[in-house]
Amino acid sequence: MLAYIGRRISIALLILFGSTYLTYNLAAYSGDPLAGIRESTDPKKEAIMAELSRFYQLDVPPPARYFLWIQKIFGIGTGQIDFGLTAKRLSVLDEISAAIPTTLRLVTVATFLAIILGITFGVLSAIRQYSRLDYTLTFLSFFLFSLPIFWVAVMLKEYLVIQFNTFLEDPTINIVSNLLISAVLAVVITGFVSGTRKRVLITWGATFAILMVVLQIASLISWFRQPSLGIFGVAILGISTSVGLTHVFAGLGNKKALYAGLAATGVGVAFYYPFGQIMNASGNYALFGGLALLMLSMSYFIGYFFTKIDKGPVIRSAMLSAFFVSFFVVVDKFMQAWAPYYTLTDGKPMQTDGAYNLTLETNDFWVLNLDLITHLALPTLALTLISFAGYLRYSRASLLEVLNMDYVRTARAKGMPEREVILRHAFRNSMLPLTTLVAFDIAGIVGGAIITERVFSWRGMGSLANEAIVNQDLNLLMATFAITAFLAVMATLVADLLYSVLDPRIRIRK
Amino acid sequence: MKKTMIKGFALVAASVLGVTGLSLAPANASAANKTMVVQESNALSGLNTAVNGFNLLTNSDVLGPTGAGFTYYNNKAQLVRNTAFGTFKITKNDCGSTPSFGCFKVTYTVKKGLKYSDGTLITAQDLLLSHAISSSDYSIKAGLGDPSEGTAKFDSAGYGGAYDDHTRAESFDLSDDNFSVTVSYDAFQPDWQVFGPGPGAVHAMVGIAKGKKTFQTARTNATYKSLFEEAYYGSIATLPSQSDPDYEDELGARDDARALMKKIAAKWSTVWNITTVNSSTNPLLLISNGTFRLESCTSTGCTLVKNPNGNIGGAPKQTGNLEKMIFKFTAGTLDDTAVGQAIAAGTVDIYSGAATSSFWSVVNNASGVTAFKGNVLTYEHLDLRTGNSIFPMAPDNIKTIEGSTVNCDADYNGPFAGNSQQAKDLRKAFMLIVPRQTIANNYIGKVFDPAFSGNSPVLNSLFSLTTEGDYAKVTAGSSAYLTDLNKDQTTRVALALALVKKYYPSAAAGSDSFTVKLLTSSRPSRVANAGLMTTEAAKAGIKVEHYIRSTWSSELDCNFFDAAEFAWVKTGLSQTGTNPQYESDGGNNSAGWNDSTLDTLLGEFEKLQTATSLITTKINAEKRLWSNYYSLPMYQWPGASAWNSDLKNILPSPLAPNVTWNYWQIGY
Amino acid sequence: MAINSKKTKKAAAEVEQNSEVGKDVIQIQGLSQGQIIRKKFFAHKPAVAGLIFMILFTLFVFSASGIHLGSEKDPFTIQGWWKFAHTDTILTSDCPTGCPTWNHPMGYVPTQAKDYFALVMRGSEISLMVMVVIGSLGGLIGTVMGSVSGFFGGIIDAVMMRFTDFIITVPSILIGAVIGYRMGNLGVLPLAVFLGLFAWTGLTRLVRGEFLSLREREFVDAARVAGASNTRIIFKHILPNSVGVIIVSTTLLLSGAILTETGLSFLGFGVQYPDVSLGVLISEHQGEFIYAPWLFWWPGVIIVAIALSINFIGDGLRDAFDPRQRRQLKRKDYLAKTSTRDAVNKK
Repeated sequence: MLAYIGRRISIALLILFGSTYLTYNLAAYSGDPLAGIRESTDPKKEAIMAELSRFYQLDVPPPARYFLWIQKIFGIGTGQIDFGLTAKRLSVLDEISAAIPTTLRLVTVATFLAIILGITFGVLSAIRQYSRLDYTLTFLSFFLFSLPIFWVAVMLKEYLVIQFNTFLEDPTINIVSNLLISAVLAVVITGFVSGTRKRVLITWGATFAILMVVLQIASLISWFRQPSLGIFGVAILGISTSVGLTHVFAGLGNKKALYAGLAATGVGVAFYYPFGQIMNASGNYALFGGLALLMLSMSYFIGYFFTKIDKGPVIRSAMLSAFFVSFFVVVDKFMQAWAPYYTLTDGKPMQTDGAYNLTLETNDFWVLNLDLITHLALPTLALTLISFAGYLRYSRASLLEVLNMDYVRTARAKGMPEREVILRHAFRNSMLPLTTLVAFDIAGIVGGAIITERVFSWRGMGSLANEAIVNQDLNLLMATFAITAFLAVMATLVADLLYSVLDPRIRIRK
Repeated sequence: MKKTMIKGFALVAASVLGVTGLSLAPANASAANKTMVVQESNALSGLNTAVNGFNLLTNSDVLGPTGAGFTYYNNKAQLVRNTAFGTFKITKNDCGSTPSFGCFKVTYTVKKGLKYSDGTLITAQDLLLSHAISSSDYSIKAGLGDPSEGTAKFDSAGYGGAYDDHTRAESFDLSDDNFSVTVSYDAFQPDWQVFGPGPGAVHAMVGIAKGKKTFQTARTNATYKSLFEEAYYGSIATLPSQSDPDYEDELGARDDARALMKKIAAKWSTVWNITTVNSSTNPLLLISNGTFRLESCTSTGCTLVKNPNGNIGGAPKQTGNLEKMIFKFTAGTLDDTAVGQAIAAGTVDIYSGAATSSFWSVVNNASGVTAFKGNVLTYEHLDLRTGNSIFPMAPDNIKTIEGSTVNCDADYNGPFAGNSQQAKDLRKAFMLIVPRQTIANNYIGKVFDPAFSGNSPVLNSLFSLTTEGDYAKVTAGSSAYLTDLNKDQTTRVALALALVKKYYPSAAAGSDSFTVKLLTSSRPSRVANAGLMTTEAAKAGIKVEHYIRSTWSSELDCNFFDAAEFAWVKTGLSQTGTNPQYESDGGNNSAGWNDSTLDTLLGEFEKLQTATSLITTKINAEKRLWSNYYSLPMYQWPGASAWNSDLKNILPSPLAPNVTWNYWQIGY
Repeated sequence: MAINSKKTKKAAAEVEQNSEVGKDVIQIQGLSQGQIIRKKFFAHKPAVAGLIFMILFTLFVFSASGIHLGSEKDPFTIQGWWKFAHTDTILTSDCPTGCPTWNHPMGYVPTQAKDYFALVMRGSEISLMVMVVIGSLGGLIGTVMGSVSGFFGGIIDAVMMRFTDFIITVPSILIGAVIGYRMGNLGVLPLAVFLGLFAWTGLTRLVRGEFLSLREREFVDAARVAGASNTRIIFKHILPNSVGVIIVSTTLLLSGAILTETGLSFLGFGVQYPDVSLGVLISEHQGEFIYAPWLFWWPGVIIVAIALSINFIGDGLRDAFDPRQRRQLKRKDYLAKTSTRDAVNKK
């Protein structure tokens, strides 16, 4: 195995060399670095062009210039690793290291959300194949998969930001629009429900009525301006989530799992006030992470001590419940930060561009992070919507394949509950092909970020790459590509290794 | 389970999608706001506005309000003298027919009592640095390397051009009181006003070269100033002969001076190349003399705040109440729709750039936003080749164009070759068919209003743009030569056909009497224009072969093409600025124009002109150009700006810094 | 094949037993494989709708804008029925703002003096062409590479997979930039071909993964013991079983191709002027969606419609081709009568 990994890594280096050589030459032949100055009437034009030619080493043809570049990277002759300067004469290394965290922030949340939502709905869709839910999700995923991101972005910016900010000035919904919104939303939600016509109609009616009331109350108390869940909201949401999760992952028949989940939720709700006070006193990421860890480990022990046999489902139930109740508590804190944030941003809380607000004057942990969230919201929504569809399609197809396999039939035949069949036998095996997809997504991060970062004016790896191509800035371009290529090669390597670890039938050939 | 789901969905849906069904109301701006957020179309590349590199416009936008000098450009592109900083005048103009070094002198005097942000007095010693970074002669004589070989220690974009050609290492003379400097040239300089030196805090320069990281005492700063002055002149000192007893001492002194200058040059070229500024940045880097000072910079923006010591550095008196400026940088390529939406959303206060209908339609319809139609200093024109380009393309002269192999350096013998009557007539015929009015309407009027039905201004001068003060007078003077070109399209096509018939008697609509090979880039507007020209030319019996080349800019020198449509981007306004385009040996003359009469007329731009005489000179040159049909101006590119309507005294200018040039007047 | 036909009969018997639940149950007894696939495909309504839309739309588009091949100097053109071509310059419109009129049913672009219907038709034509070229090149190369690599394994697999890794590292934006700069005047075909030559990597890895896991299965061993050749095993045993993955990925590749082209064009590295694609049209008019919405919506809606149809066709094909999806036919009809939950519980 070690020998195999060693061999793969050395081949990976070879691939990286070949790939950078090819991209360097492609990039060098993709434009004229002096084009920008040719239309200028600057009296110093000749001096500028001569200087630029020297800077770009245009006298050396690109196939040879590559070696000058790589020589500097490895510090051959100078002993110093040097990624060179950008066309703006800044250190490439500095530019890249400033850009990477931005891109990661942008992509990580969206990718996680897309994977989790995609797999969840994909599994649901596969289990209920050819149901109304399946059709709705299939249509939805195909639809989302067909959307160009910048086309969506323009609409999202207009409707979710500009118009939403306008709406917040007077956050009331009149009765006619309320009727309309509730009716449309109820149709969407009913799409997820299967059954007879009567049942569908009842669901629609109930949803419609509840939505009407909720929206009307929210409108009356200016909830959109000063949103909060309150301890009761957190408790209600926490308990219902806990019950729901137990139902899915352990079955309501498993009383111990149910009680463990509820207990963990109780602990979370009990922490509602202390948490708020601790965080208000000195809010920082370390404390926040510590408290989260504390909550999760406590719930682990709750689950651990609730039962003696078959601890797995009980612990899972407790931990998931703890996670969600903590999530609701945090959401509530952010909601309470909304009103001060609204004032700080002059009544324009939602943002169309950039990674954070340059003009925000506050030290409040929640407000600062809420600012990050309002900037992240739109790109994350757009990215999630679009990559979610891929995960949904693949996990659905994959689970369907597995569900038709003989061993699944055997499991069913021996009387195993459907939940166990799916969770223990089918689900795990069906997720194998997805490792490849995840690896691919990671490899394609920069490529995908080029458009997203441009649309939402983020300064990350993607916009650097785009800028570098436009400016014919080879040093910068090659640095971004080398990193992307490295990521891609490593991601496939890891996916291959994972695949062989997860699926014993696939053997690595010596 | 079901109820939970519904409840959950209801909440999520209510919070996210409660957006539809809203009432539109204008935004309320907070009254206490004294911050202006400016959107830039590029990112900052450093805090040095003269270092070699790409796109220094953002740098000068950001640093503009932190400095002041002898002049600035106003929104009419006129050079305005800033008397708050100092004065300058010609003190000797005696070049005559045999110019010699020193025959033309300009003296600059800094107002007494002005101070940098660290309290150090501004003197004429601070003006010396600007010569060191723009004079090749100084660089060579001071042992700092030859800029033309790329070895200069000052990695400066200032070298090259007329100033460099006509000054010497010894051009700067400091007055005894250290408040004036006299600059000597070896010939009269028509653009002398543009060439002036600007202040650079030399005491900070020396401090940085010595590795200091904090403000120094007033006494040390004064010492540093004289140190700089000594190093500056010491580096170019002439040594006595080797036999002289002082030789060793003077050589030693010169070596010391040069060592310091080299250190300063190395620091100057690198230390300001930073894009992050915060409290840990060396304060010596941020010493400035403007109304504002740089507080912080990140990769996404820079913040400028008002100088706490007040307006002490010679900037015009502040009349607006602006206290803070934030420059926001574009990531990658600017998406102007996004900028428009950001202004509408209130996250950006002001932006100025080229006009696009998408940007305009967003800002023009947003509430609380002022939208302004302006111009940029770029104009579209059509060049007709008359001979071989003076820049041979070899060794890249063999090109594959539309499948056939072409030698770009082969002699040009197309329909427009030479200055015979036939060539002139055919050139005129081709210019006549260009539907300039339609084109101008498309790219000016209809950008701002799709329903536009009037007439947008076509550009009728090759020397003045519509935004320049003398445009009306220049075009009035040369209008007689443009009469035919400004007739309506049908008449012009008929005139063109008549001209073609003179040489091709069988010419008629669609007869393809002769062929014009037209070169353009793939820019949509140019492709569309070429389409219009093809259609109109066919009516006069001329066939247009349109070549869309992505490598067009390097192929302007290719003798294969008869005509090329592209734009000239003016980076500044100077008396001699247009000469390189039309002089027989001009650096921008790719179309092979070779006209000694025109050269003589253009020579007038090299002489001292008053505003009135300059107009006459322009008219004379225009007449020659118009009667020979070399180049046809089409239209000046429109610009657009938009800003928060609460901002006062915003006067967008076609020159950079476009909207912050009058920062002292801007306020809420 | 023996195994397959046995399965078919058994399934058919099951269907017959349940025939009282639905009249439209597909009778597949006694039908050839091709007939079964066709029947099953046509039973998938969204797929059929997608197919009809694609056929009609393609005919509509190509007949409207005509066929334009060859270079600008030496063109081969068949005129379409629409009165304007995308290259025509039209100086005025009946509607001053450029809104849709009888003459310009999709509107008019004042700044380019073009009829928008002609542009949209030409754009659709180009986008369809790019999509088909990328999709078929990518699909073909991907399937061949993936199946060969996954089936033979060993050194062949290793070399092919490392080559795949190499190709993955070349970003499509760079290909777009190079082609646009060097071959921009040769039309859109070079761009499509080069993008297709680099688009197969995802498919290859998925197909290979499928082959890797299928070739270890018992029925492959059985076939091998029975003396079947490699070709036979690949084409008759493994390929039909992996057809689901191949088709789903190819349709995703097809709809992805149209979006790749759109994205590249948005960044300015895709289809170059004077040609247009739906992507070019969207990126040009994205700012006008409030004040000239017709310019913004048409290309977007068409892209979404094309991608949707392709995905539905793929879904239908997958159901039709996959030998193991058969029983779902019965369940589907069964579910139409009772609730899903009951169906699952009963099972």
